[in-house]
Amino acid sequence: MAAPAFDRRRVNGPEESFPPVFEEDREVKKISKRTDRENGDFRPVFLQPGLITQANGSAYIETSKTKISCAIYGPHQSKNAAYSENGRLNVEVKYAPYSCHRRKAPIRDAEDRTIGVAIHQALLSSVRLELLPKSTIDIFIIIIESDGLEASIAAGSIAASTALADAGIELFGLVTSCSAFNEAQALMDDNDLWIDPTLEEAQAAKGTLILSTMPALETVTSVWQNGRMQPADVLKCMELCQQRCVQMHAIVARSLVDNNQVEPSE
Amino acid sequence: MASASTSNSGSNEQTPEAIALKAAVFQRLHPRVYLERFVAEGIRPDGRQISAWRDVSVNVGSISTADGSALVRIGDTTVVCGVKAELAEPELDAPTRGFLVPNLDLPAICSPKFKPGPPTEEAQVFSDRLHEALTSTGTISLEDLCIQPGKAAWVLFVDATCINYDGNVFDATLLAMIAALKNVTLPKATFDEDTGRTVCTRKESAPLNLKCLPISFTFGIFDGKHIFPDPTFFEEPLLDTAVSVVLKEDGTISSVSQVGADAVEQDALSRCIVEAKARHQLLLSKTIYP
Amino acid sequence: MSDADCLLPGQPIVLPTGPAPRLGRGVYEKNGQVRASLVGRPHHDGSTLAISRTRPHPPAPNSIVLGSVTRLSPVQALLSISVVDGVPTPPGEEFTGVIRVQDVRATEKDKIKIADCFRGGDVVRGQVISLGDARSYFITTARNDLGVIFATSEAGATLEPVSWERMRCSKTGSIEKRKCAKPEGL
Repeated sequence: MAAPAFDRRRVNGPEESFPPVFEEDREVKKISKRTDRENGDFRPVFLQPGLITQANGSAYIETSKTKISCAIYGPHQSKNAAYSENGRLNVEVKYAPYSCHRRKAPIRDAEDRTIGVAIHQALLSSVRLELLPKSTIDIFIIIIESDGLEASIAAGSIAASTALADAGIELFGLVTSCSAFNEAQALMDDNDLWIDPTLEEAQAAKGTLILSTMPALETVTSVWQNGRMQPADVLKCMELCQQRCVQMHAIVARSLVDNNQVEPSE
Repeated sequence: MASASTSNSGSNEQTPEAIALKAAVFQRLHPRVYLERFVAEGIRPDGRQISAWRDVSVNVGSISTADGSALVRIGDTTVVCGVKAELAEPELDAPTRGFLVPNLDLPAICSPKFKPGPPTEEAQVFSDRLHEALTSTGTISLEDLCIQPGKAAWVLFVDATCINYDGNVFDATLLAMIAALKNVTLPKATFDEDTGRTVCTRKESAPLNLKCLPISFTFGIFDGKHIFPDPTFFEEPLLDTAVSVVLKEDGTISSVSQVGADAVEQDALSRCIVEAKARHQLLLSKTIYP
Repeated sequence: MSDADCLLPGQPIVLPTGPAPRLGRGVYEKNGQVRASLVGRPHHDGSTLAISRTRPHPPAPNSIVLGSVTRLSPVQALLSISVVDGVPTPPGEEFTGVIRVQDVRATEKDKIKIADCFRGGDVVRGQVISLGDARSYFITTARNDLGVIFATSEAGATLEPVSWERMRCSKTGSIEKRKCAKPEGL
């Protein structure tokens, strides 16, 4: 609520400031029926690699309320670490101050690191790190507009994997992610599983799940489950997410091929 | 499924890709000579005329979580700016004034020369100069931001983030900040004397009253005599000095600043100002702000 | 060059019948299936199947690198590598290499003085011997086409190579000693 302490490196505002309180916000939000899509569909995705010319590789992903930009720097020499046979992957996530409903101070906190760890986990097994001894790959992610933690992790993983492919780093396969949640405690039928939650839906959900897979190799790279879900339902959720990941893979593939057409290859 | 095919790639030395790669190697090893060779032909390394500016594009309102937002591209340099409005008590010595807090962030994502961490000296200097440009031109009257004297006022956090750093970030950021401020709609706020709280409503909102729209024009001076408008990331370290001219909407000068080591002839400075005014006229006629 | 030829990481590659090719860069084999690991078109270099890439990448053994000399000591020269295999690295992201005195040239290794071979600021072409230690790659210039390719004299002008161990200043004509690389085309 209160602004952080005086930061002599930035232009500062008043000591304390509060986000505005609206009289319309008094009611409690519930999950409303979706008007623009089915429960089991994800929102249309726009993915563009190569926008950040300064970086080795980059990707920008946009869905209706999520905008994330990812850049790859490296592989460069690991600076302060001991000799290692395998390369290192370093994921740093940053929220832009205007990306959430409540302004986020530019100080990095636990939420940034949580997303960083989740994306690191999703990508780690897809990169051929044994080809990059002594090197570190830096993955920098900026969240320009955020629609909840789950959407950010899923979209961030997709953008990061696309950016790695754009950067010419050898991969076992492309990673795509999908998030899902359940509204009821126990699922009666498949319609109770909802894909790609918005911020309001994720906050009101009973349990959420984010699945990252490499569809080309039919392997799962990470599962991130939060909240209350029956174990059998977790498996059903994973299966549905896996199908969606395959659909997402086609979108990623299309964007990389189109981008490769624009620049002449060797 | 694709089948591997035999092809002749890589053996022909003079393919366009091979030539471009050799030029890139030369650029990396001998940057100054590389630039001098272009200047001798009368063009800049990115292909434009020596005195040409890059294309500018402005896009507003795409970030729903911000109260006002803008995305500006000057060539490849990309800056996103978002405005968040919050409430605070005015300062004791300025009870009828709100706050305008501009900041520029140069994160590691935008360039290989920035590493993760606290704002670099460059970012701090930029933030300071932007603050100066916005307040000295009186872009917003801080009194307009007051809700209840002594009790409640608006704080406008104007945060800019550079996504791609290809030189001339200052011009891009000032443009983005002004465009974002123009895009802001503030909800109507009423201060309740009894509870001591301010309540807002989305049903009524109004845009900000911007009194002045300053634009900045940055030049680099190379070899003591060549004036490069709108320097790129490659050119910046090779310049003797950089000159920024901030003009108000009516074309009068708000500030002229010079950053760099070498002294600039009097002539060069006035040439920059003349060029800035000409460019300003051109931008106004193109209605740069949507 | 149709769309269909551009492969993506993880995409299987159908091999023509015949002996299995050796796998070069950009492809890998898992569970008997050969797949791509880069975005690009595969091609055959002789009997090796590979996908080439033009992005900056770190040096590997046998890579040809270009770098500038940053520090000299009696037993080695430190190199700041800025070009790897013909692809420049982004500015600010150089690799560190070291040319040890025994790797400067192939003959008369015990009689070498580093100061007669390299000076600070010289641009050197070398080949990577090994990954070295945590801080630097081991580089050799012990071949005719490896060594100093560009240097400035004490007078500030460009030095032109005269022989494998001498360079002449283009302004004053004085001779300075360097371990030169044989210029291309000679």
